Amino acid sequence: MNVLGIETSCDETAAAVVAEGRLVRSSVVSSQIDLHARFGGVVPEIAGRAHVELLMPAVAEAMARAGIERPDAVAVTYGPGLVGSLLVGLSAAKGLAMAWRVPFVGVNHLEGHLFAPVIEEPGLPWPLVVLLVSGGHTLLVEAAAPGRYRLLGQTIDDAAGEAFDKVARYLGLGYPGGPAIDRVAREGDASAFSFPRAMLGEGYDFSFSGLKTSVVRTVERHPSASTPDVAAAFQEAVVDVLLTKAARAVRAVGAKGLCLGGGVAANSLLRRRAPEAVDVPTYLPSMAMCTDNAAMVAAAGTFRLAHDGPSPLSLAADPNLFLDFSEDFSEPEA
Amino acid sequence: MLLGIETAAGLVGVALADAHRPVSGAWLLGDRRHAEALAPAIDHVLSQAGATLADVDTIAVDVGPGLFTGLRVGVATAQGLAEGLGIGIVEVTSVEVLAREAYGCGWEGPVAAVVDARRGEVFVARCAGPGARVETPSRCSPSALAEELASAPGTLVVGTGATRYAAVFADAGLEVAGIAEPSPRVLVEIAAGRLATGAAPVPPAAVRPVYLREADARINWVQR
Ligand SMILES: [Zn+2]
Repeated sequence: MNVLGIETSCDETAAAVVAEGRLVRSSVVSSQIDLHARFGGVVPEIAGRAHVELLMPAVAEAMARAGIERPDAVAVTYGPGLVGSLLVGLSAAKGLAMAWRVPFVGVNHLEGHLFAPVIEEPGLPWPLVVLLVSGGHTLLVEAAAPGRYRLLGQTIDDAAGEAFDKVARYLGLGYPGGPAIDRVAREGDASAFSFPRAMLGEGYDFSFSGLKTSVVRTVERHPSASTPDVAAAFQEAVVDVLLTKAARAVRAVGAKGLCLGGGVAANSLLRRRAPEAVDVPTYLPSMAMCTDNAAMVAAAGTFRLAHDGPSPLSLAADPNLFLDFSEDFSEPEA
Repeated sequence: MLLGIETAAGLVGVALADAHRPVSGAWLLGDRRHAEALAPAIDHVLSQAGATLADVDTIAVDVGPGLFTGLRVGVATAQGLAEGLGIGIVEVTSVEVLAREAYGCGWEGPVAAVVDARRGEVFVARCAGPGARVETPSRCSPSALAEELASAPGTLVVGTGATRYAAVFADAGLEVAGIAEPSPRVLVEIAAGRLATGAAPVPPAAVRPVYLREADARINWVQR
């Protein structure tokens, strides 16, 4: 079964064809980074306009590369994300599914990220703890099996990737902030400054808004501070908090593995430290599977179609869609 | 057959036409829920006419100017349908639809098609008379437009911008018609007429909404 996946929740316009829920036949991602770079962040109206221009070529290319004329179903992200962006993919997906007379299925973008390791690691040991970190999300999830998730914690303010973007912008390192900070931090001394690790000892929630303020104050106090040192110390603080909580979660739920996902999972320090932080195997997705893509949407859509059946054509975009935790879990120890 | 999609203003409209005239249509209150209403409305209109998408050989879509989100829902849906069916799209502007509606009601003088652009502004295009070309739309303030139109009396003002700012236009001595929303039936009539005179539909990827306003460069830091 070939499923066409479509992803337009933020600033990537993506289409992919996935067979049997995990064989990626094609995956096309048209990044809009250049369009948003001069603003230092994603501008919703610019993203919505770009999706209209980029989606059909991406779909045509994904179909051509997969060598198919018509998929067996169309899966699309319907939330969470920017509503004006979600609506473009959702509307186009409905049109395509109606024209091809194939089932249409809405996918939760967050569940899509949880399927990235399913695509890349055939022998995943369940249960898993998934640390999902990007410009839009910072979640710690217990995944008992595909489709069975519990949210352990999330950011109470900024997402981790957002902290990277904001600090990079403040330091004049450009956009997107993640790769920029990763790059200059390599030449810096992370021990030059000690930034706060907010909520480190408490539960599984994260807070990153104070970190940027702390970086700003430090630079104001030490105007001659080296930018690489500041970037390295900032990155160290973020990675430390993420992995301390992830490792605690792995122990608390008895997970057999730790998965990383989302754009921040491309960070080199996080990738290097993750295996050292836990004594279970770590699964680090490829760079292409870290960032938003449609293959993960097609994979999650294949699962949802088998599990719940098609979605109605009246499906609305839900910018604040949450992961569904219908299964009964007992409370983990913090 | 020709399937028309109208989402440029508050209503969601769908109409189906054969070579000459509309054969089925639906017009529902979108209430800013265009994305939920449109696809089921298309299904409904097709089944009312005893047709399926296999009978559709061209899609017509209102490309605006109008409300950005609604326009994108209509254009993206049209693109998906056309891409999947392997057919082309006819782009019609909201102001063309509104002007033709006015002339369809028997008016013979000049018309100003005025679409609400929010933020105290309107999109406008004028048309000198039945069968005349509708000018390229532009954006302005309702009061500036009223002042300009008042210098050439006898213009009928139509559209969502006309009804929203009815008092402004009435104060300038202009006649405001009760035509607010672009009609999907008129949309397919215009598209059918254009095809009949040999115009070629465009490929789905080439369709662009008519925004007439720079994107608001506000970064969204929340819930990306
Ligand atoms: Zn994402």
